[in-house]
Amino acid sequence: MRLTDEEKRMFQGEYGSGTQKAITMLIEYGEVFGAEKMVKVHNAHTGVTGGQWTEEMLAGVQNVRAFTTTHAGMAGSAGRALGLKEEFCKQAEAEQRKTLEMIIPRGFIPAMSCAPYMIGNVPTAGRAFSWPGSQGIIVANSVFGARGNRDAMPASMSSAITGVTPDMLLMQKQNRYGQVHFRIEDLDMENFTEADYGAIGYFIGSAAGTKNVVVEGIPENVSFDMLKFFMSPQPVSGAVAICHVVGVTPEAPTLEEALGNRKPEESIKIGPKEYREGWEGLHSAKNDNVEIVFFGCPHLNIAEIGKITRLLKGKKIAGEVRLFIATSEQVHVLAHNMGYVDTIEKAGGVVVSGVCIQGFPYPQLKEPANTAATNSARAASYQIRRGINIQYGSTEDCINAAITGTWGR
Amino acid sequence: MILKGKTVKKGIVEGEAIVSKLPFSFLGDLDPQTGKVVPEGHDLQGQSIAGKIFVFDTGKGSTVGPNVAYQAKQLGNTPAGMICVEVEPVMAMVAIMNDIPMVHKLDKNPLDTIVTGDYIKMNATEGVVEVIKNS
Repeated sequence: MRLTDEEKRMFQGEYGSGTQKAITMLIEYGEVFGAEKMVKVHNAHTGVTGGQWTEEMLAGVQNVRAFTTTHAGMAGSAGRALGLKEEFCKQAEAEQRKTLEMIIPRGFIPAMSCAPYMIGNVPTAGRAFSWPGSQGIIVANSVFGARGNRDAMPASMSSAITGVTPDMLLMQKQNRYGQVHFRIEDLDMENFTEADYGAIGYFIGSAAGTKNVVVEGIPENVSFDMLKFFMSPQPVSGAVAICHVVGVTPEAPTLEEALGNRKPEESIKIGPKEYREGWEGLHSAKNDNVEIVFFGCPHLNIAEIGKITRLLKGKKIAGEVRLFIATSEQVHVLAHNMGYVDTIEKAGGVVVSGVCIQGFPYPQLKEPANTAATNSARAASYQIRRGINIQYGSTEDCINAAITGTWGR
Repeated sequence: MILKGKTVKKGIVEGEAIVSKLPFSFLGDLDPQTGKVVPEGHDLQGQSIAGKIFVFDTGKGSTVGPNVAYQAKQLGNTPAGMICVEVEPVMAMVAIMNDIPMVHKLDKNPLDTIVTGDYIKMNATEGVVEVIKNS
C-alpha cells in the first residue's frame, strides 16, 4: 500500500503507540481487500468498549482526526428507569464514567446513539465515513450516497484516531452498483406503515445475503423514516450494506444507472406472498399477552416521539405492561421541552437515552419478562434469535397493545 | 496435502481442524464464556472452536463481532487459527484485532478438502496450509 508521509509517521510511531496500532490495523485490513492507498474519513462513529483494548488504542492520542460520535450502549441511569437490577446499573454507570473520562478530552462526542445522522454526523455523497452499526451503514451508503464499508468497532476506532480508511470495497464506485434486483408488484404501498416497510426489508435481506440491492416500485415520495425502517432489517436477515431505491436514492436515478448498465445477478419479484413471508418471520409470540412494548431501534426522532405522544394523550397503559421509548440524548431534551416526556410518563411510559434497546438485557430485569411488541423489524429479528417472544406491528398496533395489555392486530 | 491461499492475518500456528459449512458471526454464534457454538440447528452446535483451526464459509452479521471475539480471547476461547472460503470486512477485523492467524481464497475449497479432526499446520504469513488427514 502507498502511504502518505503523514501516514508513514503514524506507522513509525511518531504519534505514539495507539496511533501506530490504529494505522497498522488499517493497513492490514486494506491489504486483505486489495486497497492501494488510504482515503480521508470526515465522519467517524465508534463504540467504546473493551476496557484495556480501548486504553491501548488511545495511548498517546491527543485528539481524534475525524469528527467522531459514539454509539449507543447502556447508560446506568437509563437502566434504573427501565427496571434493571441495581448491581447491573452501578456497573454500567462506573464503566460509562471511565469511558467518558477517556474519550471527552480526546474530542470524541459521547452522543451514545445508533443514529449518527440524527445528531449532526451526516456524510455527504461520495465522502468516506467509518461507522459501526449496520443500520447506520446502510442508511448512509444508500440514502446519502456517502461511502462506507461494514466497518467493525476496531476499524472505526482506528479511523477516528488516524482520520483515514483503506480505499477498497464500497469506497469505489464500481463496487457500489446493484447486484440483486427486486421488483415490487401488486402491492398497494400508499398506506404502508413502517412495519410494512420493515417486513419487505426483512424479506429482501434474507434473499440478498451479502449482495448490493436495488429496488424498484417504492413510491418516489417515500419519507426518510420509512426508508430507515425499510433498510435497517436488511443487514440483520442478510448482510446488505447498500440498497438503491430507483427514483429515490442518489445513485439510482434509473434502474440502469443503479446497476451500472450491467445485468443483475438475480431478479426477484416482491408481491403479496413475499410481503406475508416477511411479516411471518417477525413474529414469535405464542399468545396475545404483552409484557413490554418498545420503540427506538433505530433511535426515534422528535417527530416519531410526537406521534406516540398523540396516541397516548389522555390514555393509560395497562398496569402490567412496560412501555419503553429509546432515543438520543439531544432528542430526549427536545422531547422534554415539547412536553412529550411528561405526557408519556403520565400514561405510564418511560423515555430513555444512551441505550441500545434492541440489545436490551432481559436477564437483568428486576421483574422478569420475555414477551415484547415492537415496530422495528431489525429489533424483532435480533430478539427472536435471543428467544424473546415477539409481536410485530405498526406504532398504532404497539400503542394499542400497551393500552389494552393484549396484542390485537 | 498442501493448499495455497492469501493472508488475512499473519502468523504460524498448528492444531486440529473443526469445520462448519455455514457463514459465522462471533456475535450470536459463539458463547465467549465457553468457546462453544450456540444456535440450535448450527452444524457445530454445542462444540467448542477454542484452540482449534476453525474452517468455515465466510463472516456474517453484526459489526460487534470482533469485540465479542476479544472477550472470548481474554478467556482463551478463540480459535488458534482460521481458514475461510472468502473473508468479509467484519471477520477480517476479528482476525486482525485479536491476532488470530488467518488465510482465505485457497486454491482448493477448504470446505471440500478439510474435515473435522484433520491436523492443520498453517503459515498464514506465506498463505500455506498443510492438511494432515486423520484417517
